[in-house]
Amino acid sequence: MSADPGAFNTYYPTFLRYIAVAIGLGLLMYGVYRLLRRAGAKHEPATGFTLVLPWIVGFLIFTVFPIGLSFYLSFTEYNILWDEPRPLEDPLFNYKRALSIKVVELPEGERPLQVLGTMEGPTPETVRYRELDRFRLGDKTYVIGATDGNFLKAIWLTLRYAVLNVPLGMLGALAVALLLNQNIKGVGFWRTLYYLPAVLPAAAVALLWFWLFAPNSGLINWFLSPLYKLLDIPPAGWFTDKNLVLPSFIIMGMWGVFGANTVILLAGLKNIPKDLYEAASIDGAGTWKKFRHVTIPMLSPALFYNLVTNMIASLTIFTQQAFIPTDRQDGWFVNWFIYNEAFNFGRMGYASALGWMLAVMIILLTLLVFRSSAAWVFYEGARQEGGA
Amino acid sequence: MATDTQSLRTVETVHEDPYAARARLTEAVRKVVIYFFLLIGAAIILIPFLWMVSTSLKTESQLFRYPPEWIPDPIQFNNYIDAWRQLSSIAPGLTFARIIGNTLFITVLAMFAEMFSAAIVAYGFARFRWKGRDLVFFIVLSTMMIPGTLTRVPGFLIWRELGLLNTYDPLTVPAWFAWGPAYIFLLRQFFLTIPRDMEDAATVDGANTVQTFFYVMLPLVKPAFLAIGVLSFQGNWNNFEGPLIYLNTTQMFPLVLSISFFQQSLSLEAPKWHYMMAMATMMAAPILALFFFAQRYFIEGLTVGAVKG
Repeated sequence: MSADPGAFNTYYPTFLRYIAVAIGLGLLMYGVYRLLRRAGAKHEPATGFTLVLPWIVGFLIFTVFPIGLSFYLSFTEYNILWDEPRPLEDPLFNYKRALSIKVVELPEGERPLQVLGTMEGPTPETVRYRELDRFRLGDKTYVIGATDGNFLKAIWLTLRYAVLNVPLGMLGALAVALLLNQNIKGVGFWRTLYYLPAVLPAAAVALLWFWLFAPNSGLINWFLSPLYKLLDIPPAGWFTDKNLVLPSFIIMGMWGVFGANTVILLAGLKNIPKDLYEAASIDGAGTWKKFRHVTIPMLSPALFYNLVTNMIASLTIFTQQAFIPTDRQDGWFVNWFIYNEAFNFGRMGYASALGWMLAVMIILLTLLVFRSSAAWVFYEGARQEGGA
Repeated sequence: MATDTQSLRTVETVHEDPYAARARLTEAVRKVVIYFFLLIGAAIILIPFLWMVSTSLKTESQLFRYPPEWIPDPIQFNNYIDAWRQLSSIAPGLTFARIIGNTLFITVLAMFAEMFSAAIVAYGFARFRWKGRDLVFFIVLSTMMIPGTLTRVPGFLIWRELGLLNTYDPLTVPAWFAWGPAYIFLLRQFFLTIPRDMEDAATVDGANTVQTFFYVMLPLVKPAFLAIGVLSFQGNWNNFEGPLIYLNTTQMFPLVLSISFFQQSLSLEAPKWHYMMAMATMMAAPILALFFFAQRYFIEGLTVGAVKG
């Protein structure tokens, strides 16, 4: 912790630089516009490009350059206290360290750590395989070892969270949106109410649910106490129980997920032209058929949007985790895991490699969803084009 | 004659009744079912929320009372002051006023820059044809896929190289470079809906691009402009990751980070839930107030991308 220079002394230097950057950016835009015009560009393209310039500059400085740097760092060893990264003898070491797995037979009476041994090849330090799991096959015991089992566990936990949270949240939001679309009195009131949890800061939501799920004095365990008595089991530990961490996070996530998704779906529902339903009725379609063949296709762009944004948000869950201390082995999501590698343990190079793996995973999944969209997302404009 | 009419009426009623009554009954049942589910949903949403407020008004001993009390007796309004007092006793100088000052400083600067840069960039995409525009716009949208995890470490290193760690710069200055792709998208969609005649009229009157933008276009997209203002305020007020990485001096912490610091400085055995909930409530209060007053803009901001896009 550094000494406090006082409020004023922390505000005004930033404020001055903030103003300076704004002026500098304005001058840059003016200069680029003049240059373009002198180079023979017409007013319209020169203006358009100039107006987009702030984004282009920011994109190069704050996205392209960091991504390139991160890629380079992922092949190096870089402690946060060092001035610069050190090259690795084996450039792929960080990636290998994250992903190496091996399965070996565990002879009777031997310790897994001994049997599994260390990572081969040139490594900057000794990296041991540690037990991830074990299983029996016939009368032999096998042990699965990984060089960073906690990372694999974090990825696994995050994937399971996304796979459960996204569809549950979308179905729930769809159900609520359909309810709110039923010509009820005071739609505005209900919509506000259902949107409430989504407005609350993620930090406040996390603190609240941590307290609701408190094992000894939380509201939820009090509510469930008759059940515990009936079944004669101890109260659930929720966030502190390695089997209940995931359900706890999902329940917490569901509480907030209705809000934004429901508002978007409701707007989509209101946009569906009434005559489509009338035409379907004339053709003899019942409630289900109308839902299946009118509502769902017309709503598919909104559902698609929800799917993409919720998926990315679920895979990068961060703030909630920071306020809910969970067990590192069984309760850490991958984004939090990577943050800690970099800023708690100071392994910047390793964290960069992990960050790249997460990014690639997210981009691949997003592209997969985009590819699938051709099959189920219905754009009215596209249909008209196809018909013509 | 009279009896005739009577019998006719009876016939009519008998004839109509089964359908009308059944229709009315189905409608009534439908209504009951709908409101039943709506109320269940409302309870699920409101109970945790009320529990937060209720806890924030309790004394430490009331926290663990069994069965739980919803309306504490006595009501402990002091928590809202004492929580911050206790925090400043752990971190001298980190007073409530200072925390709010820090939070507002970051939020207002970032919001202002974010709004203006997004509007300017969106205008460039929506109204001017230039070579490569659609490709650049596609790249803008694709940046939404890049997780912050990837740019966190290099971002930290860049600001360290500039000697600007532990300042508010990383949290405010880059906002000038239109760092929110969603805001650019939203405003562009709005600009596209405005008839070109508006600008043509302004040009005929002798206005240049800058004047047209500020005096004609910006007022016309005011709803969308305010929508991103509201979303941006919320985003920066709630931002945790940025301050966590870039700020080091406790006295410079904004609200979220101060609460996190307070939580970590308490032992796990005595989490002081009444203080934590008071802080959580206070953190949520401005955002809730903003939401109630600017609801239209919130909803506009959320829906335009998904539905119109």
